[in-house]
Amino acid sequence: MRRLLGNIGGSLLFPFVAIVFSFAIGAVIMLATGYNPVAAYAALFEGAFGSPASLGRILLYELRLTDAAPGPQDTASLAAIGRTLVNTTPLIFTGLAVAVAFRAGLFNIGGEGQFFMGAMAAAWLGVALGFLGPGAIPIVLIACGISGFLWGAIPGALKAYFGAHEVITTIMLNFIAIFLTSYLTRVPLDREGVLPGTEPITESAMIPILGAGLGLANYGIFLALLAAVAAYLLLWRTKTGFELRAVGFSPGAANYAGIGIGRNTVLALAIGGAFAGLGGGIEVMGVYGNMDLPFVRNVGFTGIGVALLGRNHPVGVVLGALIFGALASGGQQMQFDTQVPLDLTSVLTAVILLFVTATKLVELILGKRVRELAAGTRLERGLGS
Amino acid sequence: MDEILVTIGAVLAATIRNATPLVFAALGGMFSERSGVVNIGLEGLMLISAFAGVVGAFLSGTVWVGLLFAVGAGLLFALIHAVMCVTFEADQIISGTAINLLALGGTAFLMVIVFGQGGTSPDVEKFDPIAIPLLSQIPVVGRALFDQSLLVYLMYVMVPITFFVLFRTPFGLRLRATGEVPEAVDTAGVSVARMRYYGVALSGMLAALGGVYLSMSLLSSFTEGMTAGRGFIALAAMIFGRWHPVGAFGAALLFGFGGALTIRVPPEAIPNEFIQMIPYVLTIVVLAGFGGRAIAPAAVGKPYRKE
Amino acid sequence: MAEGERQDGEAGAAEAPAVLEMRDITKTFGPVKANDNISLRLGRGEILGLLGENGAGKSTLMKILYGLYRPDSGTVIVEGEPVQIRDPKDAVSRGIGMVHQHFTLIPPLTVAENIVLGAEPSRGGSLDMTRAVRETGELAERYGLKVDPRSKVADLSLGVRQRVEILKALYRHARILVLDEPTAVLTPQETEDLFSTLKDLVADGLSIVLITHKLGELLGVSDEITIIRDGKVVDTVQTEGTTEAQLARLMVGREVLLRVEKGGAEVGETRLAAEDLVVNASTGAVAVNGVSLEVRAGEILGIAGVDGNGQTELAEALAGTRRSESGRVSLDGRDITRLGSNARQELGLAYVPEDRGAKGLVQDFKLYENNALKTYDQAPFSRFGWIFPKVMRRRAAENLQAYDVRPPDPDARAGSLSGGNQQKAVLARELSGDPGVIIAAQPTRGVDVGAIEFIHRRLIEEREKGKAILLISLELEEVRSLSDRIVVMYDGGIVGELDAADATDERLGLLMAGRGGEEGRETA
Repeated sequence: MRRLLGNIGGSLLFPFVAIVFSFAIGAVIMLATGYNPVAAYAALFEGAFGSPASLGRILLYELRLTDAAPGPQDTASLAAIGRTLVNTTPLIFTGLAVAVAFRAGLFNIGGEGQFFMGAMAAAWLGVALGFLGPGAIPIVLIACGISGFLWGAIPGALKAYFGAHEVITTIMLNFIAIFLTSYLTRVPLDREGVLPGTEPITESAMIPILGAGLGLANYGIFLALLAAVAAYLLLWRTKTGFELRAVGFSPGAANYAGIGIGRNTVLALAIGGAFAGLGGGIEVMGVYGNMDLPFVRNVGFTGIGVALLGRNHPVGVVLGALIFGALASGGQQMQFDTQVPLDLTSVLTAVILLFVTATKLVELILGKRVRELAAGTRLERGLGS
Repeated sequence: MDEILVTIGAVLAATIRNATPLVFAALGGMFSERSGVVNIGLEGLMLISAFAGVVGAFLSGTVWVGLLFAVGAGLLFALIHAVMCVTFEADQIISGTAINLLALGGTAFLMVIVFGQGGTSPDVEKFDPIAIPLLSQIPVVGRALFDQSLLVYLMYVMVPITFFVLFRTPFGLRLRATGEVPEAVDTAGVSVARMRYYGVALSGMLAALGGVYLSMSLLSSFTEGMTAGRGFIALAAMIFGRWHPVGAFGAALLFGFGGALTIRVPPEAIPNEFIQMIPYVLTIVVLAGFGGRAIAPAAVGKPYRKE
Repeated sequence: MAEGERQDGEAGAAEAPAVLEMRDITKTFGPVKANDNISLRLGRGEILGLLGENGAGKSTLMKILYGLYRPDSGTVIVEGEPVQIRDPKDAVSRGIGMVHQHFTLIPPLTVAENIVLGAEPSRGGSLDMTRAVRETGELAERYGLKVDPRSKVADLSLGVRQRVEILKALYRHARILVLDEPTAVLTPQETEDLFSTLKDLVADGLSIVLITHKLGELLGVSDEITIIRDGKVVDTVQTEGTTEAQLARLMVGREVLLRVEKGGAEVGETRLAAEDLVVNASTGAVAVNGVSLEVRAGEILGIAGVDGNGQTELAEALAGTRRSESGRVSLDGRDITRLGSNARQELGLAYVPEDRGAKGLVQDFKLYENNALKTYDQAPFSRFGWIFPKVMRRRAAENLQAYDVRPPDPDARAGSLSGGNQQKAVLARELSGDPGVIIAAQPTRGVDVGAIEFIHRRLIEEREKGKAILLISLELEEVRSLSDRIVVMYDGGIVGELDAADATDERLGLLMAGRGGEEGRETA
């Protein structure tokens, strides 16, 4: 038990330090440009999670412990939580997309493109199968997963059989996916009207919202949590997961044990793609109901940060997604309340990324013991391999 | 007949204009990767320099201060990447991604601080086209090639200059060696870390020239996200051009040509998105080994640790 | 060469004045003393051979000379002056040049570019390649090192690449040249060319240290030979008047540290056989050149030899982790040449690989996962694609206890165990399946004495049970005390076979160094 706690504590240290440093730097930037960091961060928190007081009031009211009905400030808190949930959901998926591939030693930067391919599948099939009502949801989501799976298998195969490094190929495929979906949205699937976008899916075929004042937050968040559980089971309770991890940790030993490296390379990126594709599908089926151009951006790239922050573990990914999701939804409140441009959150994200991966820097600050805890924050293989 | 010639001239001009930022960034990326450091942050470097240039021009009223600010910003951000990757041995891909994100968020943030508004900055002085006497009078191509901004002419000379530096100077030899077999460089008594810093610094400054071209030559203001993926196309051009200055130049021209075409080809014939996809598809094809293997410098992407 | 004055009347002072002296050099890496008070002397215009087995300490000593390591104590004296060599730059400035065993050449660049890197001739900022080409060409001419300065290193054979490495040192005005196992990658013809080059260099005033384990070659080219064993200098002899047999004995003989109790062998059927096996190394060169052998039930067949003579590739080909180019491998008479390692394992062939760190174990996996590394997809560990860690843990716990792995914790990360315990864990995995044939490559490399004892005992036990065991080891003592029969590998082939009882230091040493030839042929 002690070891488990020690492990968790150790794993959390790095991300924690990264976040603290990032916020510290953010505070410095704000002071330098004439803003009040305390107020800004308070607004950030409120915009993401609402105010504790409000939540308390709402809870008491719901439990019939008080007659004081929640006021507009309190509903705003709920709305904040709802926004955070909406932002967190896709990040869990794109985070898993990166994390699973990382476990096999591969860098999946293609989350963005895989997400789009899944979204596209949903935008199309959701409309085509809309007549099935709620029955359409599982079918469409499976298709989204397959979309992403195939889009991930491409760079996987290119790496396994042609030696093309997956970093560049996945980045290129991101752009190709964006252009492809842009075309499909503009032409074959276009709805009538001024702005480009696909036809909306009928409401009965969409993922139901949670309600209770949480805005657009929908059951997709539960699907995301399920996906995280599935990822965990895959990695640690299946043959495939065993093989992926063996290949990721030690290709030499995996080879010696007869585990196919090429096969698992393709599989790792494909499975990662499936997660991202699923995320894209849920974004469409749960939040938007269609694909407008421009569609959600940077979900894939942020997913990289999520995975790194979460140390490439499904539980970490969920927490990381929550943090980045909160940053995104809190940003607007921060801008509204304190006029700090919400783009500061991008800066914070970037700094977190830098600190998470600059293992030597943190080592310098915290001492050498940290070295072992830093496992999993960088990929040792060079581009030549 | 006249019309065709005019069109050719126009397309050529557009090609040059599209290619210029790509050439700069691709040459920059080449220096970084040749020294062994992956730099996918070219996009961010271009963006931050585009912004810095505009700020400089805005504050001083001259393009030259703008240029100075731009190159300075590019250098600064590139050095962040260098410190992260060389000294702190961070993962080079992640660092590059972080630079991109930093630039995106940072420029939007600073826009409000400096100009009091988001979106697009106020107009500033720009590098107006200067026609070179005689050369610009060549029929058909003269105006396209020689009636362009100063930065374009700089781009023309930058290609042979980088060729010379890379292949005809001791510095270039050492740089190339660092990206292939850093151990050999180390045993020869040259500092691997120092060469890599130079490589990355150069990438920052060259990418900056590409960025400032966007905001102060092609246009005369900065808009959020204006690089729109050009940094990645430049990366593709570098790979397609086999990490060679002339190759990168050619590839950038090719991609620039594609961009010039998108406006002219009727969307019914070929949808414009497919044309825009071409650079990316080509890069994948080249990486997969068709048309001759594109082999990156052997030691690229790996931090160098002494035994 | 003028005869030097005798400075201090010391008995045994050499005729040539010393151009290099290393005195009482000691260097420790953790618990291992790589160099233990080593003293060495190189006379001007002399070729000094540095002879010793793998791990004897020769490379370490030379790396200290070249500034790649710093000695814990001792002095280096160049041309009569004590010097501090902090890095290769210092060494080069003192006129010391080194040709490493693994070349540091840059394949896409030309010969001239490789040679001048770091000391480039320039003219007003630009690289003067014409001068570089001319100077390197002249240098090559002068020393008879035929190579075209303009050719790309990638296009050159290993022998020619070595010439480039030598030229690198000469270009920097080396007066002392150290070559580390230079003939490892050369054909006999290239070796001859190299030695004639060395003689030319010496005629020009250079002094040379030649590190090798091939004593036959040393006799042909050196003036003096210093033999190093286990980090200490055993002796320094004049080449003239020394026989190979003497050198072999000096190189190889050691005190017996471990003696294993062993009953007589009760040998049965041949279980594992190789027929004319040809295997390539990862570089593409031929590593195993038509080897045939048989391992019988109830015996331990030991393969002795210096590292790099093909043993590794042979083991891998027999185990199924490396494809063979031609020849046959059979298990109990059945042809398994085309089978992969997993299939061979299922037929009862266990393989304890040489590199437990990178091949035998996944360092970042827990012990129970490593224990199931080859069997994770079989019942009871797995069914329908699921795996059951609880079952794996239980089985691992049993194994770890049985094989004395410390700590016997199935959840411990493999990398956290000491070398000896990691090796025992590998053994536990391989032997627990009750295999009929066991291939053990370097089973006690980097392992502490207690674990060595345990592993040896286990291997003997398996032998008593009637298993067929193939033991490959660089530790001669281990091969001798465990094996019933010994074959020696040299240059990809088997050069001799002996019963363990007949395996004297001398005979083994000669065979390992490529001399001694076929059985019965003695060289004086």
